[in-house]
Amino acid sequence: MNLFSSLIKKNGPIIGTYLLIAIIFWFIFLIIIPQLYMVDLSFRPNLSPLERGGDKDFYTLEHYKHFLFGSAGSNNYFNVVDISVFFKTIFISIIVTILNLLFCYPIAFYIAKVAQPNSARFLIIALIIPFWINELLRSFALRVLLANEGVINTFLTQIGLIDTGLLFITNNVGLYSGLTYAYLLLMMFPLYNAIESLDKNQLEAAKDLGSSTFWTHIRVVIPHAKPGIVSGCTMVFMLTVGALATPVVLGGPNTLWFPELIYQWFKMSNNWSRGAAYSFLLLIISVIFVLTMMRLFKVRIGEIIK
Amino acid sequence: MSNRLINYSLIFYIITFFVFLFGPLIIMSITAFNSADFPRISPWDCLSFRWFNEGMVDYVGQHQAGLLTDQKLKEGFYNSIFIGFFVVLLTVPIGLAAALVLTQINPKLRELFYSLSIMPVLFPGVIIGISTVVLWNRLSGLSDEGILSEVGRNGIFLTILAQTCFISTYCFLIFVARLQRFDRSQEEAALDLGATQTQVFFKILLPYLAPAIGSSAVIAFLASFENYNTTVFSILSDRTLTTVIASKVRLGITPAISALAFAIIVITVLAVIIYEFYKRRVDRLKKIEEQTLLASQSSDSRVQKIEIPKINFIKPLSFFIIIAIILSILFTQVLKNNLYGDACIANVEEEKKRKIEEQRKLEEEKFKLSEEDLQSGNKGGNSAFGDIFNSDLFEY
Amino acid sequence: MSASVELKNASVTFGNFYAAKNINVKINGGEFFSFLGPSGCGKTTLLRAISGFQDLSEGEVLIDGVDMSRIGPNKRPTSLIFQNLALFPLMSVADNISFSLEVRGVDKKKRRSRANELIELMALDGQGEKMVHQLSGGQKQRVAIARALAIEPKVLLLDEPLSALDLKLRQRMRTELRAIQKRVNITFIYITHDQSEALTMSDRIAVMNEGEIEQIGLCADVYNKPLTPFVATFVGENNSIDGKLTEVSSNEATISTENGSFKSCLNNSDGKYSIGDEVFLFIRPEALELAKNGNFDNVIDINIDTFEFEGNIKNYFAKLGSNKKIKFSIPNSVDTSDIHSGSNIQIGFNKLNSVILKKGQLAVDT
Ligand SMILES: Nc1ncnc2c1ncn2[C@@H]1O[C@H](COP(=O)(O)OP(=O)(O)OP(=O)(O)O)[C@@H](O)[C@H]1O
Ligand SMILES: [Mg+2]
Repeated sequence: MNLFSSLIKKNGPIIGTYLLIAIIFWFIFLIIIPQLYMVDLSFRPNLSPLERGGDKDFYTLEHYKHFLFGSAGSNNYFNVVDISVFFKTIFISIIVTILNLLFCYPIAFYIAKVAQPNSARFLIIALIIPFWINELLRSFALRVLLANEGVINTFLTQIGLIDTGLLFITNNVGLYSGLTYAYLLLMMFPLYNAIESLDKNQLEAAKDLGSSTFWTHIRVVIPHAKPGIVSGCTMVFMLTVGALATPVVLGGPNTLWFPELIYQWFKMSNNWSRGAAYSFLLLIISVIFVLTMMRLFKVRIGEIIK
Repeated sequence: MSNRLINYSLIFYIITFFVFLFGPLIIMSITAFNSADFPRISPWDCLSFRWFNEGMVDYVGQHQAGLLTDQKLKEGFYNSIFIGFFVVLLTVPIGLAAALVLTQINPKLRELFYSLSIMPVLFPGVIIGISTVVLWNRLSGLSDEGILSEVGRNGIFLTILAQTCFISTYCFLIFVARLQRFDRSQEEAALDLGATQTQVFFKILLPYLAPAIGSSAVIAFLASFENYNTTVFSILSDRTLTTVIASKVRLGITPAISALAFAIIVITVLAVIIYEFYKRRVDRLKKIEEQTLLASQSSDSRVQKIEIPKINFIKPLSFFIIIAIILSILFTQVLKNNLYGDACIANVEEEKKRKIEEQRKLEEEKFKLSEEDLQSGNKGGNSAFGDIFNSDLFEY
Repeated sequence: MSASVELKNASVTFGNFYAAKNINVKINGGEFFSFLGPSGCGKTTLLRAISGFQDLSEGEVLIDGVDMSRIGPNKRPTSLIFQNLALFPLMSVADNISFSLEVRGVDKKKRRSRANELIELMALDGQGEKMVHQLSGGQKQRVAIARALAIEPKVLLLDEPLSALDLKLRQRMRTELRAIQKRVNITFIYITHDQSEALTMSDRIAVMNEGEIEQIGLCADVYNKPLTPFVATFVGENNSIDGKLTEVSSNEATISTENGSFKSCLNNSDGKYSIGDEVFLFIRPEALELAKNGNFDNVIDINIDTFEFEGNIKNYFAKLGSNKKIKFSIPNSVDTSDIHSGSNIQIGFNKLNSVILKKGQLAVDT
């Protein structure tokens, strides 16, 4: 192949072979084949290993049908539970993404353009520290606060504001705040980097021309920070929609987050092909989201992930 | 002026933001020192380190493990380290290779190559775990014995592969960033001077990439160590630190996890502080070097006057001293009020046992009453006790 | 040891774009040879072809008569000094210099002694243990040369190595480079877009434009007897006046312009010119003198526009009758107290100091 010979030519036989083996191993064996096999599996019935390759091993849409219409015995025409979980997951992820953007923008702007270099550095460190701590443990911290006998509830009962605990977890307040809390940093840094590269003179020029703070942001800062905003939003959305750790810790008794549903099919019901089918749905959503963001804001994929 | 108002509200907002960021972590950390069997601040039982050590035996006689005595945690911890080690061993060379190929590849293919390289981080983590497991399960099913079937069912092996899939992208991105600043003519210069391509790689490229290799190894290890979404699928019947934590949290929250989190927080903060000091030192040395170079090469009288800022040790030091003083005052107060030590715990536990005993009696009476009620047609439930999650979360 | 370098019908294409086209040149062993041309004309491309980093699309490179097409850059007897020097920032000066020995497996002691030799030769004493970023610009320059010389190449290729230096240092390094070349006595192939650099250092120069060689020759010949309008205007300054030939003899011609007729020499004409040809007349600013101070073959009426004092010379910018601009320079010692802005005077030049060439592309006015 052309790539092969040019790699060998440019890098010599030893290094060239190493490069080739490394990228083939990664691309083919770790990325492409597993994904393709998973998609393939999602179109097959759930079989025991012995039945594989036998008569029952044919292509079927049963898992996707199940997602839409549920099992035969149910009394609803559509699979209301799964479909609503699916859309709820997407909807909440979008809300979480927007909230993250709103929460992070002032901070990113402050650190990038207002703060003195020393305090900016301090603030950045302060931002990084919490996010070096495992997502599970961060969610756990929220759980400690929000549990029915948790810190907030015991405090509120003790000072007599309420009689019985507020059901933060049951009502998913915990889950939503946990998801918002979880990926703040992934919004913060692209935003910060984008705003940071804005020339301070532009801000001064805008002010000089009589623009109000609000309009300066709308017309100067935000357009400049667009790639960072898109990048941050994409990352946060993708991570939120695929989150498993936070829902595991903070999910209420009957909310299911879509990846949790996958987890159930996979681990509890041992129905791997259905798990694969549901995963594929999640994958499709992710891909659609990235492509939409790229189209909508005319950025290239390289700008989204740096 | 409205400008001032905006500034003040911005600062107020930032303070609030950080309170929300750190508040939960701090409160959780404090609960690790409460001897109570549920992570809470109030009511405060006793100051105790038992959740870091032996845990406790509750009144039913069940042992709740502390941080150091928990066998599962320990096993998960060692597995995590083992996996992280191999992930680093794989991801760094892969990321490096892909980044190098990216710089050499024909521009038409470059976009495609780049997209493929970053795809794994755009995929939800669960999918990477699942796809690895299903593929290898099938592969291992192909033969009844032999290495393939063995390895395909080994959760640790699968986890290494699955994590390598997406962590390689992190390394790739780090290398790409560093290579962008690489002066390609250095390679050509070395070739021109007679080096073979292999020599160019080891003598020019690798030394240049050394910092990136270091940082990508650290990032890869951390990413592997704290990964949950992918690992929970690929680990099969084994366990890592994160899967142990997750299953513990699902079974009910205990202060042992607060203790673990506290330990991780302390390590993190220390690491960050050390790194920051190190970095400042390096920056300072660089500055000094530049200044002396400038001074030696220029007769400009302005040059020597520039003062090199010294690191101010007083401020951080005084900060730590103040914290230490506050802590020791608190601790003496605690001791004075008999809030620390085995005696205190014994007291509290005694108290609790008594209360529970009382409660049980009360309940029995109530039960009797309610039975009577039931008979008279009055349905009454009592679910006020117990944490709702302990029972509900584990439905699946 | 030095070697000759020969390019035969050498071309380099990028897609369908010729970066170098049909280059034929033979550079003798021990020569200081320069390629001179404007930015983007393909000089670096040519040098990379000689050193082996760029494959030729046609033609061949011969070094000492040996075809180089199958020999990689690390096996050719050439050393390249890069436009940006490409010193290794992570190595000390001595390690940089002895790199070529290191990769050939020469033992440490020999490497040391060779490095010390070169450090001395390049007047870098005491700098051996420093890192590259601790050196000044001129020192870096010399390290790059020392590094290239360490394995005693037969040909040293230099790609605008002085362009990053400030003027003073650049001028000093010119002399120094020339002296080094004489000392080590190897073939230097030097690339530059700065004509004074090429003229001061080289034995011979080749002037390039848009991938092709316009003229090869001794410095004085290229300056005094340009073969194309491009060379005439790119190397040094030149006034050009266009017109038609009215009279042609074997080595002389008369050109008729809007501003009168002038007599001039023809270089290597060989019957290439005939009456009625559209041509340029080129006169250098220093060839024009005040008409009242001597006898000249040609005299022109001009109107002075502006004046510039440059120290050793005075530059005048003037208009011909047809409003065409002309520039002339007069030594400071000549009395010019009666020349002012707006004055009408006469200037003259001798036919030997001017050149007639067929119309063609001029170098872009700088
Ligand atoms: N790899 C390449 N691919 C396509 N075109 C190239 C490539 N390298 C050089 N060129 C083109 O070839 C022409 C000659 O480039 P070259 O670098 O040889 O110029 P140069 O004479 O050295 O200019 P300068 O004085 O600015 O260094 C330029 O127009 C350049 O755009
Ligand atoms: Mg060049």
